[in-house]
Amino acid sequence: MARTGGFSVSSDAREAVGDYKAGWHDPEQATVRFDAGLSEQVVRDISELKGEPEWMTDIRVKAYHHFMARPMPTWGSTELLNSIEFDKICYFLRSGDGTKGDWDEVPEDIKNTFERLGIPDAEQKWLGGVTAQYESETIYHSIREDLESQGVIFLDMDAGLREYPEIVKKYFCSIIPYQDNKFSALNTAVWSGGSFLYVPKGVHVELPVQAYFRINSENMGQFERTLIVAEEGSSVSYIEGCSAPTYSTDSLHSAVVELIAMPGAYIRYTTIQNWSDNVYNLVTKRGVAHENSTIEWVDANVGSKLTMKYPAIILKGEGAHGEVISVAYAGEGMHQDAGAKVHHLASNTTSKILSKSITKDGGRGSYRGMVQVAKKAENCKVNVVCDALILDEESRSDTYPTMEIANPTCRSEHEASVSKVSDNQVFYLMSRGHSEQEALALIVNGFFEPFTRELPMEYAVELNNLMALEMEGSIG
Amino acid sequence: MAYSELEIPDRADHLWRYTPWHRIHPSGKVSEVPEAQGTIIDLTSLDGSTEPGGISLEVATPEDLERLCINGKEDVSTQFIQALSAGNTVVLRVARNARPSQPVLLNIECQGDISALHLLLDIGDMAELELITRISGDAAWAGILRQGIFGNGSHVNDIVINHMGDGRLLRTDGIHLGRDSQIRSGSIGSGSSRCKADLRYTMDQIGASLKVNGSILSLDGMHNDHHVEILHIAPQTYSRLDWHSACAGKSRTIGTGMLRVEAGAKGADAGQLFHNLLLSKEAEADSIPELEVSENDVVGCGHGTANGPVDDEQMFYLKTRGFSEGEARDMLVAAFLNATLTDMGSESVHEHLLEILTRDLAADLSI
Repeated sequence: MARTGGFSVSSDAREAVGDYKAGWHDPEQATVRFDAGLSEQVVRDISELKGEPEWMTDIRVKAYHHFMARPMPTWGSTELLNSIEFDKICYFLRSGDGTKGDWDEVPEDIKNTFERLGIPDAEQKWLGGVTAQYESETIYHSIREDLESQGVIFLDMDAGLREYPEIVKKYFCSIIPYQDNKFSALNTAVWSGGSFLYVPKGVHVELPVQAYFRINSENMGQFERTLIVAEEGSSVSYIEGCSAPTYSTDSLHSAVVELIAMPGAYIRYTTIQNWSDNVYNLVTKRGVAHENSTIEWVDANVGSKLTMKYPAIILKGEGAHGEVISVAYAGEGMHQDAGAKVHHLASNTTSKILSKSITKDGGRGSYRGMVQVAKKAENCKVNVVCDALILDEESRSDTYPTMEIANPTCRSEHEASVSKVSDNQVFYLMSRGHSEQEALALIVNGFFEPFTRELPMEYAVELNNLMALEMEGSIG
Repeated sequence: MAYSELEIPDRADHLWRYTPWHRIHPSGKVSEVPEAQGTIIDLTSLDGSTEPGGISLEVATPEDLERLCINGKEDVSTQFIQALSAGNTVVLRVARNARPSQPVLLNIECQGDISALHLLLDIGDMAELELITRISGDAAWAGILRQGIFGNGSHVNDIVINHMGDGRLLRTDGIHLGRDSQIRSGSIGSGSSRCKADLRYTMDQIGASLKVNGSILSLDGMHNDHHVEILHIAPQTYSRLDWHSACAGKSRTIGTGMLRVEAGAKGADAGQLFHNLLLSKEAEADSIPELEVSENDVVGCGHGTANGPVDDEQMFYLKTRGFSEGEARDMLVAAFLNATLTDMGSESVHEHLLEILTRDLAADLSI
C-alpha cells in the first residue's frame, strides 16, 4: 500500500523504503541532463531544446530575471526558504526519448516505477486519461478515444504548446503572471512538462483525468506547468498525485497551475501531494471562474519538507462559486504552510473554504488564507472553517486568515479551532472493543471525513489507510 | 532598544499591513522624533463625589520604569512614545488590597500639535477596582502608551474610551497579568480620524483570566485599526476576545488578533471573535484573527469572524412595530455595540458607557 491514494506498492518496495512507501528510486537513466545551477543560458537552452516559439523564450528570460531580482518572501517558513540551495539543483533532466502513447514503449525502469505506483492499473479501471511525468518531461500520455472524438484535448504541456500554440499563448501567464511571486517566476523561466487540458463547449468529461508526477533523481527540480480551460457549459475533474525518493539532499518542486472556467463550466482539481520529506513544494495555483461557473480545489498535503501552497479562485463572473477543501498532515521535520484564497469580484458569488490539519512528532501545520470581497460585489456569501488537531507536545498549529470585506451586503463567516484528540472519544471507542491505536485512527479518519468523501473511492480508502499508518506509535 | 535603532516595520507584517508606520507617525518622516507636549491628566471617582482611596498618580521613578516597562523593547510604537515622553512618565499606583467604592475615572486630555503620555499601571495584589480611562482633546496627534502589571489576585475592569477630536491617535498597551488575576479590558472608540491601537496582554502567571471587549463606532472617513495580542505562557490561563465594530460612511475598521499559546501553557482556554457591521456602501471592514498554538494539552483554542449588514428581518420586525427606518437601524446598531459593552464592567459602569454610546450615536450616526 502506498501513501498515494489509489495505488499499490509491492511488499519488497515497502521494506526497502521504510515508513515512506514511495521512497525508493531507480538508477538514473538521463538522456539529457543539465549541470546544476541556473543562468539565463540554462533558460534559453531549455527553450531551444524544446524548439519553442520566440515568444515563449522571451517570457522565460523575463521571468528568469524577475526571479533573480525578487527577494525571498519574508513571511512563512523563512528559515527553510532561505536554506534552499538553488545552485545545487538540476533544472532539466530528460529520461527516455519523448512521450509515448503506448505503455509498452516506455523505458523499462521508468515503466517499473509507475507500475509500482499502480498507474496503468488505475488507468484501465477508472480514468479518462493519464499523463505520467518523470523528472522534467512527460514519458507517457493517453486519453480515451471517446473523449478525443468529442474534441477534448489532453496533452502534456510541451505538446500543447507545439500543437495548439494559439490557445496556449492566449492563456499562458494570464491568470498567474510571472511577476506574481518569486516561485511563479522560477517556474515560468524553467517550466517543463505538466498538463494541457482543453474541454470544448458543452462537453462533460465523466471520468476523471489524472497526472502523476515523479521525481527520481537527487537534487532535482521539477517545474511542471498545467493549464486547464473548460469552455462554456463543460465539466472536468482532474487529479494529480506526486511522490519522490527519499534522499539526504533536497529537491525542489515548484509548479504553476492555471484554470479557466468559462460561463457555466465546472472544474474540480484534486491533488494528493505525497512528496518525500526532502522535497520543497512551493506551488502557485489559481483559477478564474466566469459567470455561473464553479472551480473546486480539493487538496491533500501529506508529504514534503516544506509546502507553501494557497490555491486561489478569482470569482470574476456573476453567480460563480468557488470551493477549497484541504487536509494537511505534518509529521517530523515537516511544515505544511497551506491555505486558500478567494477573491469575490462579482455580485452573487459564493465561496466555501474547509481546511483540516493534523500535526504530530514536532510537525507544524499552518493555514494561511485570504478572502476579499470587492466594493462592487453585491450579495456575496463566504464561509471559512479551519480545524486543527495537535497530537503531541512537540507539534504546532497556526491559523492566519485574512478577511477584507468592502461591500456591506456580503455575509462572511470564519471559524477556526485547535484541539487535541478527546480522551472521552478514545475511551468510548475502547469501551467498544477497539485498541487505543485503532481508536485514534478512527478519530483521525473521522476528522478528515469531510475531505475524503469528496475523493473518488479508491483515493479515499487509501488516504484513510495512509493516515492509519501515520498514526502508528502516536499513543504509548 | 531605542527608537532610532529599530527597523521600520514592513507591511508584510500584518500588524502594519493596513496602517503603515509612516501613516500614523506624526510627520510621516519616520526618522523624526518631534517635540511633544504632555497631556492634562485628572483622577476622580466616576461620580466625582469622593477621592479614589488607595490610588495615586505619581511621577515614575527609575525603579518603576525598570519593573513595569516589560513589553515592547523592540516595538516601534512603544519605543516611539517612550522617546516622545522621555522624563515625563506617570505611574498610576493602586495599593495592595485597595477596593475603591466607586469606579475610578482617569481623564487624559491631549492638546496641541503633538501630545504624548507614557502611563505606567502598578495595580497591587488583590486590588479590586474599575478604571475608566477617557482620552479626549483636540490634539492633531496623540500617543498614549500604557504599560504595567495587574497584581496577583487582582480583579480589574479596565476600560479605555477614545473620545478624541479629529486628530490621530496612536495607542499602545503592554499589560502583564498576575497569578489568578481576573481582568476585563474594554475599548470604546468613536473618536479620532485615524486610530492605530496595539494592545498586548501577557499571561505568564498561572490562573490568569482575561476578557477583552471592543465596541468601535467608525464614522465618515475614520480609520480604526486595532490589534489585540494575547499571549498564554503559564498553565490554566483563560482568555476571551469579543470585538464589535460598526462602520458607517467611508470609514474603515481593521481588527487583527494574535492569540498565541506557547508550549507549556497546559489547560489554556482561548477564544477570539471579531464582528463587523457594515452600514454603508463605502465602508470597509477587515479582520485577521491569527492563532498560533504550540501546546496540545489545551481546553480549546478557537477564533472566528463574521461580517454582514444590518439584518433585514430584524429591520422589518422593528418597522412593523412602528419604528421608522432610521430609528430601527439606530436601535440595531446600538444593540450590536452594546453587546460587548455589557461585559466590560459592573452595572453602574455599563450605565455610564451606555449613556456615552447613546450620545455618540445620536450626535454622530444620525441614521
